[in-house]
Amino acid sequence: MAEWPASPSVIGKRIPRLDGLLKASGKAKYPSDVHPKGLLFGAMLYSPHAHAKVKSIDTKTAEKLPGVKAVLVIAGPGTTLRYHGDDIAAVAAETEEQARDAIRAIKIEYDVLPHVVTEAQSMAEGAPEVFKGGNVKKGRGQTKGKPEDAMASAAATIEATYTVPMITHVCLETHGLTVGLEGEKKATAWASTQNVYGIAGDLAQALELDRGDVTVYTEFMGGGFGSKFNADVWGTTAAKLSKMAGGRPVKMFLDREQEHCAAGNRPSATAHIKMGADREGKIVSVIAEGHSTGGVGNGTNMILPYVYRGVPHYSVGQANALTNRGGSRAMRAPNHPQSCILTEAAVDDLAEKLGMDPLEFRLKNLDPGSPMTPIYQAEIPIGAELIGWREKRKPRGKTGTGPIRTGLGMALHTWGGGGNPGKQVSCTIHPDGSVDIKTATQDIGTGARTILAMIAAEILGLQPTEINSLIGNSSYPPGQPSGGSTTTPTMAPPCYDAVTKARDALFKKVASAFNNARPEDLSLKQGQLWAGGEPVASWKEACRKLGTSPISVTGEFVDGLSSTGVGGCQFAEVSVDLETGEVKVKKIVAIQDSGLILDLLTWESQVYGGVIMGLNYGLFEEVVMDPTSGRMLNPDMEWYKLAGASDIPEIVVRAYSPPDEKGRQVIGVGEPPTISTAAAIGNAVSNAIGVRVTEWPMSPRNVLNALATASREGRA
Amino acid sequence: MTEQKPRDPGGLGGQSRRDFLRGSGVAAATAVLTGQAAGVLDEAQAAEESTKVLSGTVEITLKVNGQERSCEVEPRSTLLDTLRNRLDVTGPKRVCDRGSCGACSAIVDGELVYSCTTLAVSCQGKTIETLESFETGEGSVPHAFHQNDGLMCGYCTPGFVTACKAYLDKHPNATEEEIRKGIDGNICRCGTYVGVLAAAKAAAQAKKGA
Ligand code: FES
Ligand code: FES
Repeated sequence: MAEWPASPSVIGKRIPRLDGLLKASGKAKYPSDVHPKGLLFGAMLYSPHAHAKVKSIDTKTAEKLPGVKAVLVIAGPGTTLRYHGDDIAAVAAETEEQARDAIRAIKIEYDVLPHVVTEAQSMAEGAPEVFKGGNVKKGRGQTKGKPEDAMASAAATIEATYTVPMITHVCLETHGLTVGLEGEKKATAWASTQNVYGIAGDLAQALELDRGDVTVYTEFMGGGFGSKFNADVWGTTAAKLSKMAGGRPVKMFLDREQEHCAAGNRPSATAHIKMGADREGKIVSVIAEGHSTGGVGNGTNMILPYVYRGVPHYSVGQANALTNRGGSRAMRAPNHPQSCILTEAAVDDLAEKLGMDPLEFRLKNLDPGSPMTPIYQAEIPIGAELIGWREKRKPRGKTGTGPIRTGLGMALHTWGGGGNPGKQVSCTIHPDGSVDIKTATQDIGTGARTILAMIAAEILGLQPTEINSLIGNSSYPPGQPSGGSTTTPTMAPPCYDAVTKARDALFKKVASAFNNARPEDLSLKQGQLWAGGEPVASWKEACRKLGTSPISVTGEFVDGLSSTGVGGCQFAEVSVDLETGEVKVKKIVAIQDSGLILDLLTWESQVYGGVIMGLNYGLFEEVVMDPTSGRMLNPDMEWYKLAGASDIPEIVVRAYSPPDEKGRQVIGVGEPPTISTAAAIGNAVSNAIGVRVTEWPMSPRNVLNALATASREGRA
Repeated sequence: MTEQKPRDPGGLGGQSRRDFLRGSGVAAATAVLTGQAAGVLDEAQAAEESTKVLSGTVEITLKVNGQERSCEVEPRSTLLDTLRNRLDVTGPKRVCDRGSCGACSAIVDGELVYSCTTLAVSCQGKTIETLESFETGEGSVPHAFHQNDGLMCGYCTPGFVTACKAYLDKHPNATEEEIRKGIDGNICRCGTYVGVLAAAKAAAQAKKGA
């Protein structure tokens, strides 16, 4: 079994990412920046209606407009359009302005059909159907023990309906690609994707070519968060337009409105939850009934209860309500943020009902059968200390008398991540001393490019900047799609394997040139080749001994370098203005374990980024659908709210990293830190104002509604 | 999905000021959104009906990063699209295309602008700077972003770097709070603000030291 070096010189340090200056100087060319010769600009025509049939479509005028080179109908007469943003037709023209004119010149008649865009509309008796066969699909249900009996015998119970809205990914670089053909048999694309290897297959299929005839580049890409794994209709459409235009490259990137409406979402989740505990504060029963919508796609697969899986009795039922809205896609830790909010809100409310400190209550209810439990037990006191739980926290609602109240909240999360066999990395050591690492994975902002260089540098005794970390090219050895926190744990082992084997081959070839050393006497450190404890040559001199033959090795997954499963906890401190309902997050503490950390600098950025995405989920974000028109009301970046610099609180990040933690190897940290932030914020708000806000986000509207309801019912 | 349901604020008679505010706040929000819905429908209608060609080009010369660059634009062409599509100056990014996110930031005659909401024809005779022209050595804003990891996917980064540079040039003694306000017109989805603020502070410090 392979092992990471015990006292590394590069791994675990704070290494600025290799491509950081290219990005910070505007010189990095993203797929939406490239401008190959003869470039045409594409534009999409998409449905303004939530539900309609195309009666007729006439592209004659559009085709004749100046500059227009190709027009393609995607949804011909008789096609049903199922959401605002659904694809209808596409155009390629000499300028982007001309492409947009042509889109406007396509004449189309619709039979507008009745729609359902909210869960209530979708589930109503006699509702119009999104697809034939009914809107409501039963999801995974689960029952353990005798939840009803256990609930009846509980010392304290709570019952409430908690709601989390749908949100969208809001990748800053919208979905799309630039693609062109050379002759009949070769295509080149620059795609904004999390799956450079896979996209080549999608495009090959659309163009009826072999996979190897298509080369896809993803040197850089502007965010995906789970929504960019396929070429999608617009990508294959661009390829077809290019073919129609004699192979001229076509740049096709969605506009912001279609991006919001059609390019994925994190489904909503609503659950009616009953939870009961005994006198000692042990949760004895959970009964939950939930529903969600992911538009025309899957709803949330609610994991209830989340984290606290040791509850002896529970039953969960859930349903997916289809709506006329673009389909869901994986989004950073699919299903977890929703499950975390629903569970952690109920857990908090039950602790409150029992008059227990919610921190103690959580510790009491950790699952004794879970390997995460000791991790939570260690992490929670660290987080509590950093947020000032003991000194600052007051019981819910006992937070003073003025209009501004402060409160604390917390939540726990877990994620798998981890590495999978099957992917490859190649390492070439050239006689001039340069080193190429190649694999068809991509860096979606996580620092994957830098990580591969760090591993190579560690093994070869070099600096990461001395390694050419070549990724984002579909013709390289098959690499991992970036999803589920698997890129680093999947790519690190074959990288380690390739570089180790290349190093050993180098030793074998050059050993005799250094006082007839044996290969096993050689080692590499500080840019030098060492033989028997003495530096004998610089790295470059050593490589020169290769003569004209470079060393090239392809590495495979090896055991012992990566594993799976992490736990984390987060704490939030908020202040709430009772008059305006405005919530300000003052501080967040995130304690995260993730095994061996390769680059501490980019690791921290990942955790900060996850927390900030969670803060957006907790405070601002929601897709607002208009029940009357069926359209999304905020498909922009003004009414779809995201945090700016002034919204960012003090964020304290700590790696939970005792010595044995490193023994758990590389795990991946993309998803975990975004899971529990919104739950912790919601719990802090309730602690501050003395009333549970059952609807996320913690917007003024939801906070004021909760206060108004409580005061009407005489609770506040 | 969230449905904006108006709430009955309860009889006005016994209402406290707090309840009244809550009720009216919610009602007002609903009114705005409903009004918007009508707006978008009209817009869609108008878009469908207007098939008139608005094209027509004019040759202009722009002074970009110290160079005179000529190209053909339409009167409606934005500075952003002109830089990106016609002059291959792709540092500034198109993200929202309507002045909400700052990714397209550029400096025109020393002032920070959203180039997506600036017409190219209005920039003739002006000095246009994009981040490609910035110093990148030690002490520079791009260098500070790199060292402090003020970027992840990097798509918002050009806008943040440009906004930071423009702000610090004018406010060399800015406090952290002021820097935050100075770059509040920019949005990052990856959540790099902690690194961005560290970078801005480092760059400000370096400037003072220089
Ligand atoms: S693209 Fe110009 S402000 Fe967003
Ligand atoms: S770094 Fe990705 S959006 Fe800011």
